[in-house]
Amino acid sequence: MTVKIVTDTLSDIPDDLANELGITLIPLTVSFGHESFLDRIEISSEDFYERMVREDVIPTTTQPSPFSFTNVYNELANESDEILVITLSSKLSGTYQSALNAKSTVSDTCRIEVLDSQKIIMSFGLAVIAAAKMANAGAGIDEIIAATKVRLDNTQLVAYFDSLKYLVKGGRVGKAQGFVGSLLSVKPILTIRDGEMGPLTRVRSKAAGLDYLYNAVATTDNIESVGVEYCTTPEDAEYLIERISDIVPREDIYKSIVCPVVGTYSGPGGVAVSIMSKPS
Amino acid sequence: MNQTDVIGGQKFLEMFAAATDWLEKSAPEVDALNVFPVPDGDTGTNMLLTMKSTIDHGFQNANKDVSSVSHSMATGALMGARGNSGVILSQFWAGLAQGLADKETMDGKDFAAALERSSVVAYKGVSNPVEGTILTVLKDAAQEALKTAANGKGDLLSVLESTVSAASESVANTPKLLPALREAGVVDSGGQGLYTILDGALRYLRGESELMQFRKPQIIASSISSTPVTVTADAKAGHEDEVPFGYCTEFLLKGSGLDPEKMKKYLLKKGQSLIVVGDENTVRVHIHTLDPGEVISYATSMGTIHSVSARNMDEQHQDYLAKQKTQSTPTKVSIVSVAAGDGLAEVFSSLGVSAIVAGGQTMNPSTKDILMGVERAPSDNVIILPNNKNIVLAAQQVQALTEKKICVVPTVNVPQGVAALLAFDYEAELETNCEIMTETINAVSSIEVTRSVRSCKIGNLDIKKKQAIGLLNGVIISALDSAKDVLFEVLEKTIEDKTEIITVYYGQDTEEDEAEACGNEIREKYPQLQVEVVYGGQPHYFYIVSVE
Repeated sequence: MTVKIVTDTLSDIPDDLANELGITLIPLTVSFGHESFLDRIEISSEDFYERMVREDVIPTTTQPSPFSFTNVYNELANESDEILVITLSSKLSGTYQSALNAKSTVSDTCRIEVLDSQKIIMSFGLAVIAAAKMANAGAGIDEIIAATKVRLDNTQLVAYFDSLKYLVKGGRVGKAQGFVGSLLSVKPILTIRDGEMGPLTRVRSKAAGLDYLYNAVATTDNIESVGVEYCTTPEDAEYLIERISDIVPREDIYKSIVCPVVGTYSGPGGVAVSIMSKPS
Repeated sequence: MNQTDVIGGQKFLEMFAAATDWLEKSAPEVDALNVFPVPDGDTGTNMLLTMKSTIDHGFQNANKDVSSVSHSMATGALMGARGNSGVILSQFWAGLAQGLADKETMDGKDFAAALERSSVVAYKGVSNPVEGTILTVLKDAAQEALKTAANGKGDLLSVLESTVSAASESVANTPKLLPALREAGVVDSGGQGLYTILDGALRYLRGESELMQFRKPQIIASSISSTPVTVTADAKAGHEDEVPFGYCTEFLLKGSGLDPEKMKKYLLKKGQSLIVVGDENTVRVHIHTLDPGEVISYATSMGTIHSVSARNMDEQHQDYLAKQKTQSTPTKVSIVSVAAGDGLAEVFSSLGVSAIVAGGQTMNPSTKDILMGVERAPSDNVIILPNNKNIVLAAQQVQALTEKKICVVPTVNVPQGVAALLAFDYEAELETNCEIMTETINAVSSIEVTRSVRSCKIGNLDIKKKQAIGLLNGVIISALDSAKDVLFEVLEKTIEDKTEIITVYYGQDTEEDEAEACGNEIREKYPQLQVEVVYGGQPHYFYIVSVE
């Protein structure tokens, strides 16, 4: 029986691709004041950023309740006896906890494994896509888990933020604290390390930022796939994809839009690449 | 009426009970922030214990009106207050209770007015109020609450929302007001604690109780980066740490006809961080003193004393230091930079330099000065940015004098130093970083505008004494009467199609208005460029400009 793959909307796997590969996406919630929306279901990423800029508010986010996982588990348990859930970093959200808590409410004839990716957006989305492909090819759950763990370790995230404002206001500044308070206007380049956002370096312009992202891809060996994501500037993603296509086959490059939940921290104008090396 | 618009006594109590649970989740982090007035690392715990006593007393009151419940809570706060911040917190409660006297229910306007009262009472309780502490945060929050209430948004939720957001900003701002915080690179722990309590109350009111179980309160990030140590030739060795902190002495005094004001006057001479609060029947005393016995015998002459504690703060401080040591991961690589001018020193430190060595064109620091900066840097691998060609050599001598591993990135001017600093890779080792940083220094052009010290002829330039001269990458290419004209002439020759950013650092002899006007003119002339004007405070140079 095919292993069912479940993840959250922070994986940034586009809906079409998720449908095609049979991946179930569980939404987080984003709120503007008292108005709440299910991420990517009740509010599109485009509408979200438009509103964030127009209203100049810092939206808040909420993890899915264990209940939303229970529903999905029960549904999938009718179709398979093995479910693999891969969530975003447990250090950034309680989604992993909700996914775990929901396990106990489902009959134990179905085996459910929950993996804390310690990553966000496509830096775990790419591993989820690879896991779904393995499942569809008939791989067993243990084999998929082992390969996914290696892939997650082999993935680096390089994210250009147009501003640190949203990360600071959202309370997720973490180890990037050293970037706060600069007297010159600088653009941070961040990564995720040990499950938390951390600093990589700084640049003074978006052009320099995009160069840095390109160089990160160009200096990585043995690439299996690359995710290129934008918040509000699709032209930046297109520009990067065109350059990267010279070194990585186009079909191994996934383009996506950074989901609203992460958008609450990156703010508009951010661009990110996730680079996954082949498990050797 | 909506139940977030106005609340009764029981809901008021539940709201702050939830806030107490919220505080409990981050008490250890709040402890770790504690550096002022004594870095003993117990603020979070003290505030939590104070809140617990506050809530316990509140629950003993079965009345439904806010006035009576808040009064019980204030009594509980006073009875259970612990530590400096705990006693101030008890004054927060005393003020709230005064502000809510005679109120059956509380709406946003009532809360704002009570908070204002709290702020006044809290300031009064402290013998020498210091800004940048819990007091400032309370004052800022209360002011914003009043503003919102006055703007017609009188419902409790709206008022509490603006209160929390003002508290958050005020906490982030505390290091600007209090040097001890700035040096440690933290926000005020008491302020953070108060913010967390208000935030917890807000979340409860919003109906987020379930969510609060999974989440943790946010520790506010400082709005400025920490100030690195500035090493100057006459820097004195030794630290103030040698002064003993003494005993943190606290007790509750019960009696009749007590006079807190009179006690305060007497105790002021006996120690530091004095707080005396209460009424004629109950007085809470908190003092840092070298002789707790004297303070206690003074109090026992007036009534009975309860919950006495005298904690040795030097011991606490040592424990705290030991804990800090194990917690803080030393940075792999630190950077020491030479800079002349207070503005430039601030720019470099805001970008992550851990020690600044004062010096520049006419006051080259010695190898020994730079060595002192290197020794103070918090890691064994240190990068030096000399930022002047006459200092590069002195910097390169440092390696022979230290066991630390040194790398000199040979920056010969300020723009190169900034460019190198920005390229620093937080994940890379010393050698890689040195390579990356050295690579970037040629990508930036440097313009310096100064005054000629004598008449001379360079190439086809006839330079008069005291005339303004402009250097591009160290070579004189312009001499005119006004510094601004020189700047524009050199800019003209420097700016290319690929130029993106111009940063103007103006010196101590240039007025801010003048520099800003100059920046605006550059923006007008080159609208495609991003132009920034920053105070450098450097001597001799009207302008140092980076073109990249």
